[in-house]
Amino acid sequence: MRLAVENVGKSFPGVVALDGASLRLEPGEIHALVGENGAGKSTLIKILTGIYRPDRGRLTIDDKEARFASARDAIASGIGAVHQERNLVPRFTVGENIALEQLPMRFGFVDFDAVHKRARKFLDAIDSSIDTRTEVRRLSVAQMQIVEIAKALSLDSGVLLLDEPTASITGHEADALFLILRRLKAQGKAIAFVGHRLEEVLSICDRITVLRDGKVMLSGEPVAKVDRARVVREMVGREERIAEFERAIPQSDTPAMEARELATARGHVGIDFKLMKGEILGLYGLVGAGRTELARALVGDERIVGGQLLMDGTPVASRNVADAVHRQKIGYVSEDRKGEGLILAHSVRANLAITIWRRIADRLGLLRRSSELRVVAPIAARLDVRTGSLEREVIKLSGGNQQKVSIGKWLAAEVKVLLVDEPTVGVDVNAKAAIHEAIAGVAREGVAVLLISSDLPEMVALADRVLVMRDFALIGEVENDRNLERVSRLIMELIQSR
Amino acid sequence: MNTRLLEKEWPALAVAIALGFGFLAATSPAFLTEFNIYVLLRSFCISLLVAFSQMTTLAVGQLNVSIGALGGLVAIVAGGLMEKLGVPIGVALAAGLALGALCGFVNGVLVTRTGIDGFIVTLATASVFDGINLGITKSIPFYKMPAALVAFGTARFHALPYLLIPPVLAAIALAIFLARTSLGRYLLAVGGNPQAAELSGVPRARIIVLAHSLSGFLAAGAALLALAQLGSAQPTIGSDWLILSFAAPIIGGAALGGGYVSVLATALAVVLLTLIQNGLVLEQVDPFWVEFLLGGLILAAVGFDRLRAARAGGG
Repeated sequence: MRLAVENVGKSFPGVVALDGASLRLEPGEIHALVGENGAGKSTLIKILTGIYRPDRGRLTIDDKEARFASARDAIASGIGAVHQERNLVPRFTVGENIALEQLPMRFGFVDFDAVHKRARKFLDAIDSSIDTRTEVRRLSVAQMQIVEIAKALSLDSGVLLLDEPTASITGHEADALFLILRRLKAQGKAIAFVGHRLEEVLSICDRITVLRDGKVMLSGEPVAKVDRARVVREMVGREERIAEFERAIPQSDTPAMEARELATARGHVGIDFKLMKGEILGLYGLVGAGRTELARALVGDERIVGGQLLMDGTPVASRNVADAVHRQKIGYVSEDRKGEGLILAHSVRANLAITIWRRIADRLGLLRRSSELRVVAPIAARLDVRTGSLEREVIKLSGGNQQKVSIGKWLAAEVKVLLVDEPTVGVDVNAKAAIHEAIAGVAREGVAVLLISSDLPEMVALADRVLVMRDFALIGEVENDRNLERVSRLIMELIQSR
Repeated sequence: MNTRLLEKEWPALAVAIALGFGFLAATSPAFLTEFNIYVLLRSFCISLLVAFSQMTTLAVGQLNVSIGALGGLVAIVAGGLMEKLGVPIGVALAAGLALGALCGFVNGVLVTRTGIDGFIVTLATASVFDGINLGITKSIPFYKMPAALVAFGTARFHALPYLLIPPVLAAIALAIFLARTSLGRYLLAVGGNPQAAELSGVPRARIIVLAHSLSGFLAAGAALLALAQLGSAQPTIGSDWLILSFAAPIIGGAALGGGYVSVLATALAVVLLTLIQNGLVLEQVDPFWVEFLLGGLILAAVGFDRLRAARAGGG
């Protein structure tokens, strides 16, 4: 089966996710789809699986135009997908999960023998070691992924789309997965593989398509003909100008925050770093390296189990988030803006002022809208939050403006240390520039910033130094000389060193 | 401005109340008599506190199904203190309110410490409160309430019962608390998005405990009003509060997941519900229809809430 899209475009309010992208999946080939966060990979996958409908462009199956009104249409057309998020019922057995779409019935009841027989058939084709009568919640992440693949295959799919299948599994498990993919390829399936780790992608795939900012930079080139450097160049865009921000030189007295041999309940060990006042310290790593978890430990949301955390040279005892925010003045901008950063149904004013309510209440303990606005309005203006009124609900703002609000509340709180986690995922280019300027501005005012980002140009534009994390440990540090190619290479070398 | 007005619940409720009032005034001669208005307001007093009690837990996105059992326990403890131990009225009432807050506090601590859903926790504690209630009373009410309390329970200024004073004060205090104090705003923030609130430095667990304590306190207030009104401590006080406690805040537009409640709209919803109950009695309709209508109204209000959420792009 041959699946192709030509010249598709897809926009969301405030963001162009795909801008004339094309992709052609051939039978018996594994096609890599790579690009940085926000490049449009997931949007493309969602169009191929009928979850999104493209604004323009053509979708063809075996060169005949096709149209998916829903995800079911795509499945019926033989397109199987394994998404990033798990789509299994944890309490059901492996067999039931695989057969869920078409449960075999007998006398009006589910025929469990047939369920397991059917599941066995598809599992045997890829990995026979999993018992179909096990409950899914007892499996490892890698095994769940295999079950999802079996489930996708059970629907007679000729096309298999895998969205970052190796993001949360170990190298050994990934090798086992690749073996399966090669077998499926030999059976004539057309496979699309979305990946982050280039070495991995280049070793298993036949062709590669690179997306950047919703556009195709490299279109289905045979992998044999491209080298790694070229792919990186197309991903990050060398010609992209690295914006220069006016920066104050970091003060070199006591660090605003220092970690000494820090260990966390989530498994970090030996975390050592110094974060200076006015500095932007980058923290780079692949998905699953433990960056977000470290930030959450620093802000008191995960337990610190060993080592020391010092603020302004003073050790900090165990605490909760409220202590970290109000006493130690640490702010955390979550990567999950909607889930954890903002109260969507509340106004821009309330979202910006939430961190200072305690402080600005008058002697009777009452809050005045005017005293909230006195603090909040200048911040909204400085960050250029585009909202008709500060009373507008945050849900009605674009992604970029929402992100400005979630950074702005920490300006209101006058934090000393700001932990920023993937600040520009899913925002458009202009909003991105404004958010970068906001972060640089925060640092100029003397705030120490820890910037977590998977966007290398963003790192190079903003960070003074970049710490590199792998498997919940810091494995090195790269000085940032604003040379994207050099910094990217050094970081990648660190990550891939064994 | 016009669209904002449509987004609010109270104008629609005010219109519904005006229509109902007009209809009853026109069709039922007994409706506008001073005594009927007095009776209507008497039941309004208790219902209002019951509604506020549930409203505070809804604000943080929790459900409290123990309100009625808690109220019953408070009523018989306060009544028992006065009848059996001769405790002065003021002390007994204060003890009742403190007991209510304590029961709510226990609910809150259980919810935050165990991580078990508030519905399940309060379902269990409701049974516990009921059990203590029946253990103390053996289902026999305390009849001898102090004369001053009973007098207060029936005193009125024309159509206005004195009993109206505590709930009205509570309404004003709650409105200011939720809109203008940092704790009140924290309550709504935790209801609006618990993760975001916590990561913004709001002590989430303590706020949930506070909401439950406040809920218990208000339910205790309702129980003590009922005690004064009935002139006896009935073990069954509170047994019919549950549906009403949800109906009023929900009709008043409270977000079911938490984060938005309106004191004014909830109060108007209680007016409307009281009016409906009174109207059905005056029109001599089978009491069965009261329950039926209450259920229908809840479904309609929830349906409307979904519709609004979908239109706002959140659903």
